[in-house]
Amino acid sequence: MNSVKKSKGRIVVDWLTTTDHKKIGYLYLITSFVYFMIAGVMALLIRAQLAMPGLTIVQTKEQYNQLFTMHGTIMLLMFATPLFAGFANVLMPVQIGAPDVAFPRLNAIAYWLYFFGSFIAVAGFFTPQGAASFGWFAYAPLSSTTFSPGLGGDLWVFGLALSGFGTILGGVNFITTIITMRAPGMTMFRMPIFTWNTLVTSILVIMAFPPLAAALFALGADRKFGAHIFDPANGGPMLWQHLFWFFGHPEVYILALPFFGIVSEIFPVFSRKPVFGYRTLIYATIAIAALSMTVWAHHMYVTGSVLLGFFAFTTMLIAVPTGVKIFNWIGTMWRGSITFETPMLWSLGFLTTFIFGGLTGVILSSPALDFHLSDSYFVVAHFHYVVFGTVVFAMFAGFYFWWPKFTGKMLNERLGKIHFWLLFFGFHMTFLIQHWLGVKGMPRRYYTYLEGDGFTWMNQVSTVGSLLLGLSMLPFLWNVWVTSRKGVKVEMNDPWGFGRSLEWATASPLPRHNFTSIPRIRSESPAFDLNHPEYASPDAKAPLKKGKK
Amino acid sequence: MKTNVVLFNVLTVFFLVSAAVYGFWSYMSFGEIEVIGFSAIGMLVFLTGFIGFYLAKSAKNFTGPEDLPDANIEDGEAEIGFFAPWSWWPILLGLGAAISFTSLAVGWWLLAIGLPFSLLALVGFVFEHSRGQHAH
Repeated sequence: MNSVKKSKGRIVVDWLTTTDHKKIGYLYLITSFVYFMIAGVMALLIRAQLAMPGLTIVQTKEQYNQLFTMHGTIMLLMFATPLFAGFANVLMPVQIGAPDVAFPRLNAIAYWLYFFGSFIAVAGFFTPQGAASFGWFAYAPLSSTTFSPGLGGDLWVFGLALSGFGTILGGVNFITTIITMRAPGMTMFRMPIFTWNTLVTSILVIMAFPPLAAALFALGADRKFGAHIFDPANGGPMLWQHLFWFFGHPEVYILALPFFGIVSEIFPVFSRKPVFGYRTLIYATIAIAALSMTVWAHHMYVTGSVLLGFFAFTTMLIAVPTGVKIFNWIGTMWRGSITFETPMLWSLGFLTTFIFGGLTGVILSSPALDFHLSDSYFVVAHFHYVVFGTVVFAMFAGFYFWWPKFTGKMLNERLGKIHFWLLFFGFHMTFLIQHWLGVKGMPRRYYTYLEGDGFTWMNQVSTVGSLLLGLSMLPFLWNVWVTSRKGVKVEMNDPWGFGRSLEWATASPLPRHNFTSIPRIRSESPAFDLNHPEYASPDAKAPLKKGKK
Repeated sequence: MKTNVVLFNVLTVFFLVSAAVYGFWSYMSFGEIEVIGFSAIGMLVFLTGFIGFYLAKSAKNFTGPEDLPDANIEDGEAEIGFFAPWSWWPILLGLGAAISFTSLAVGWWLLAIGLPFSLLALVGFVFEHSRGQHAH
């Protein structure tokens, strides 16, 4: 577009003042990936500390508490949630044929609130007492100033509150964009699954984040202004746990749904078949979202004062729409002409990992089993399978799939495969063994253990696996570097050849305001109808109707 | 638009039923309604119900070509809207908010910087592209 080479200062100002949904999306993706690597290093420190009984690699127990607290906080609220905003920002407007989001400047504010809020929460590490150390779910009364004094905790509370407002504003923006800015002919039931999941996730955001903001402000009032909202004398611990998990459980689905959307875009392209059960996938997404608001207290079985029957029932029920989705993905691949390019490989990695995590979830949903396993490494293994399985595997699937749309260049396939297999083995080596560690009775969040506990060899397997997992980032970073230097420019709209949604009907990289022309939309695969007219959907083959006003 | 109305109405009905079941079940088990969860789900009824109601109202006045299955691209409005090409105000407003929030954690004195800064940025943000009430 602009052949004049820009000065470095101009480029910086461009990024700081941007209102372009794609640039804001890239800012989200880059920032969240940086946080992913920071929290990843924390995880490696935690694993190193647990490699042998009695180690003091992390010098004090307090530092260890800070590490796992901030690992969880960063991974959930500074990596995975904004990663959703990143993918949604870049792709959703293109997929509905819009030039931008509905509120471009609000979009920018949402990003900056996340940026500054996250920085404030993490800045606790620069204070004398260190960062927050009460676990990422900050149970009362542990999170009170009596048990966790220090500025780090205060910064954590208010930083997350600020960042949460950014997330809410982003969600409102996405909902408005999808409702009002679709291209003519892009009816709701022609939107790509990723866009549908963005809509449903955003609805979850506006339902789940306000309770978090309220709870955080109340905790802040307790910590700074001497309020007694979460005082045990008033039943505060239960109030906090209810409020926190009323946010916390939908949050898990805020992380999962957009990444389900990403793989739902990838499976059809590399199976050369339309997605199997398009509407069922959407109904399943809505069902998951609705049910996810009613399962929160399955995190609280061991408090002994929640309705076990109600929450066990809804939790088991939510496995049904999730199973429907898995059935649909397998149905999409069934008898397709499958090829194993890196995005497909990552999506398959997602599927296998996520199924494991889902199954252990059904085990934990049963109170009788949960009483035994709660707060053990079994739970740690379970949620890493679920969250890492969806977020990280699908993130890399999305990166490899859409990199030509982001940058105009394809990532190297061979490095991508090395990256995948290293990470796949590293991940399963780290976390599979933790199921047995939990069953043997190792509790989560313990600083160390004894020789006689019999946990040693399992922890060693896990630690070696985590090293492999950490190393797997190197081929990826190298790949990004090599591609930006020597990668061949993609000159076509659809380098994969079988792209289905609208982003494959415009240039790579995506031009400012996304389209010079939009193809006619007659099905949920307008780009495929355009590029493969002989296999297009019947509606798309109908003669061009005269447009009516 | 109709699909969106149905979506939000379905959610409203679901939360209404869930709140009722949860309230009744907890009353039967504990002898009193578990108020935190009951009011949390209950408020979702209002949230989704309100959005559904608003969308239904606006759908009455407006159905765009995006909801017609046989609309062509040229059926849309030629001018989609105004998009700010760039803006300094979002990052400044974000910074102002960040200073104000930090003041809650660190000390009130910081609000003396954060609050005026935020207000200034807010005014700048709101009036950035304004050209007076009736001008275009």
